[in-house]
Amino acid sequence: MPNLALQPLLENADVFVVGFRNTLFLSVVGMAGALVLGTFVASLRVWGGPFLSGLGTAYVEFFRNTPLLVQLFFFAVLLAPANLGVTRDPVLVGAIALSLYTGAYVTEVIRSGVLSVDPRQLEAARSLGLSQVQSLRYVMLPQAIRTVIPPLGNISIAHVKNTAIASGIAAVEILKAASIVETRTAAFEAFYLALVLFWSLTIPLAFLVSRLERRFAFAR
Amino acid sequence: MSIAALRLPITSTQRARILLSAAFVAVVVILFATGTLPARRWEPFLVPTTWTFFLGGMRETLYMGVTALVASVLIGLPLGILRADLRGPLRILVVLWVELVRATPILAIILIVFFGLARAGINLSGTTAAIVALAVYNSAVLGEIVRAGIGSIARGEVEASRSLGLSYPQTMRYVVLPQALSRMTPAIVSQLITLIKDTSLAFIVGGTVELVSTGRSFFVYYGNVMETYIVLALLFFSINYPLSRLSRRLEARRPAEQRLIVTGEEDQLATATAAIPGAMPRQVTGTER
Repeated sequence: MPNLALQPLLENADVFVVGFRNTLFLSVVGMAGALVLGTFVASLRVWGGPFLSGLGTAYVEFFRNTPLLVQLFFFAVLLAPANLGVTRDPVLVGAIALSLYTGAYVTEVIRSGVLSVDPRQLEAARSLGLSQVQSLRYVMLPQAIRTVIPPLGNISIAHVKNTAIASGIAAVEILKAASIVETRTAAFEAFYLALVLFWSLTIPLAFLVSRLERRFAFAR
Repeated sequence: MSIAALRLPITSTQRARILLSAAFVAVVVILFATGTLPARRWEPFLVPTTWTFFLGGMRETLYMGVTALVASVLIGLPLGILRADLRGPLRILVVLWVELVRATPILAIILIVFFGLARAGINLSGTTAAIVALAVYNSAVLGEIVRAGIGSIARGEVEASRSLGLSYPQTMRYVVLPQALSRMTPAIVSQLITLIKDTSLAFIVGGTVELVSTGRSFFVYYGNVMETYIVLALLFFSINYPLSRLSRRLEARRPAEQRLIVTGEEDQLATATAAIPGAMPRQVTGTER
């Protein structure tokens, strides 16, 4: 084991604190946005009629098949004061772009969760006198949730790792914080600390997801 | 909201509508951008040399993606076999390596490979460093794909082949791997999509000429940032969309018990969920033997 220079890291702890906080923000806010957007677009794709569902498909295919980095760069310019004037805060832009990117994957998962429930069950529920809302709430939802939770967990792991790409638009998340400290102090250990910080988020999440997978594993 | 609408059959008219609305979205995006910016910023795209320039970038992106994929398959194969069939401390090392690598953002791996090796006196070009880093990450993913593939082969086949007198390597070579590899093809194709998107991350070390770097030097000269990013996105789409269709078609052809899903990778998940309208695939995470 080579000697680790920890002193420069301690002296720049504040940079890492900012980085960690921003990574958490990008993860939590970005994922929340993706869930809302994904649920909305999924319902368009299932119930929206040909045009709206086609629009939903176009959104999913486009955002899934282009690099997140290109999307980040594009939105950073689009939302900048010179154009739409929404914000110049790279962390906020990152959260928006990440929501749009991850939202495409969430859409697919939620859609297949809804479609995994046999429509005849809903017909049966309706003919037993449940209203449309009730049959969705008491027949579809409990089953769809079981199908959807494990893959959503996997998507959120990928989402946390993808937050690192926001450093491309100068959002000070963990990796950017490490680069800043490394440039300032020439201590390469900054990158090792970044790894440990990322692992502290992704590894517990992976454990949680594999537990959920086992719990929700069932034969249909 | 009718119950019958829950099962939309994909008809050719619907496909036409989907394509139409996709074109509509593209037009809206372009109009939007030209509305904010003058049309002359699209003019550089009318010059033929622009396209030879971008084609060079596309070739480099494909070269990086395919090279990294080949390397990942070559490294991932032994990793997956070791994890599926090995016992003892070496297996723990393999599992630890694969899980740690997969828990790490690729951008971090690229930085560590590039700057770490430079500190050790090994100076790689940005392109080589990015390919190495992509291969490090994706070999771990491929290892998981191989493990899931091996785990999906019925145990009875291995037992039958062993009791017929084939050795373990022979069983692997003639019984397990041929079937496992064919089940893995959709997953490998969708990993290529991820790889092609991830070549863009090489920008962070600089000195590369893949598609995104090409675009960046293009708009530095012409000052048409947003237009260039739209064109870049469309170019990536033109490579990746056919690949994702191919991957889904390969997946949909298989019976449900032969479909693999590799956890934690969004593009793997996308193929698996899109291939089966109406059902989430079984999660095959490689059974212990």
